[in-house]
Amino acid sequence: MDNKIKVISFGFIAGILSGLLGIGGGIVLVPLMVTYLGITQHMAHGTSLAVIVPTALSASIVYGFNGNTNLLPALNLAVGSIIGATISAKGMKKISPGRLKTLFGIFLILVGIRMIVS
Amino acid sequence: MTILITFIAGMFAGILSGLLGVGGGLILIPIMIFLLGMSQHTAQGISLLVIIPTALAGLWQLHKAKLIHYNLAFYLSLGAVLGALLSANFVHYIPADNLKRIFGIFVLFMGIRTIWSVKTKK
Repeated sequence: MDNKIKVISFGFIAGILSGLLGIGGGIVLVPLMVTYLGITQHMAHGTSLAVIVPTALSASIVYGFNGNTNLLPALNLAVGSIIGATISAKGMKKISPGRLKTLFGIFLILVGIRMIVS
Repeated sequence: MTILITFIAGMFAGILSGLLGVGGGLILIPIMIFLLGMSQHTAQGISLLVIIPTALAGLWQLHKAKLIHYNLAFYLSLGAVLGALLSANFVHYIPADNLKRIFGIFVLFMGIRTIWSVKTKK
């Protein structure tokens, strides 16, 4: 941690993307930490979660002030999401992640194209 | 009925993000737009809200496993909160259609990256 400016600017990039796209920012944070700060993959994953909480919180407050949020579906999705994550953490390790990842990648490409042309 | 669909959509997103190691937002936002008919801005706002408790749930596990570098997290958060406040204010001025395209480009890029990562591991 010799270069605080570097670390703060990494955070800044992730924060910009988080607020712009409504995502957590782990997608950017984890590779940056692993590649440029020499943090292990597991540690980077844990640290990114600690960054995501205050980031998503501040972004969602601004979204809320601008009338771009809805509490009831958020609560519903969050409960479903936590249950889903628990299920996949406990019982579904047998599925080969390679094939699933490819399918998911194709799905994302199709969704992306659909959103660009709509 | 909508409540049930929403709940199942959340569960589906949770299972996928657990299996694939990707954040929930990438999956949740398209679901909210295409299945629940929400606007791009609202879907993104809701996604951010959903991310908070989901990340907190994971955080506790990783804290116990001592996998959080708190000093690093502090300085990253400093920049991240600043960036998020800036872009969350700015995003309000982007028309929904354009924001959807920007998000689409991001999703497309992530799709290519996901397939790429499978190919290079083989």
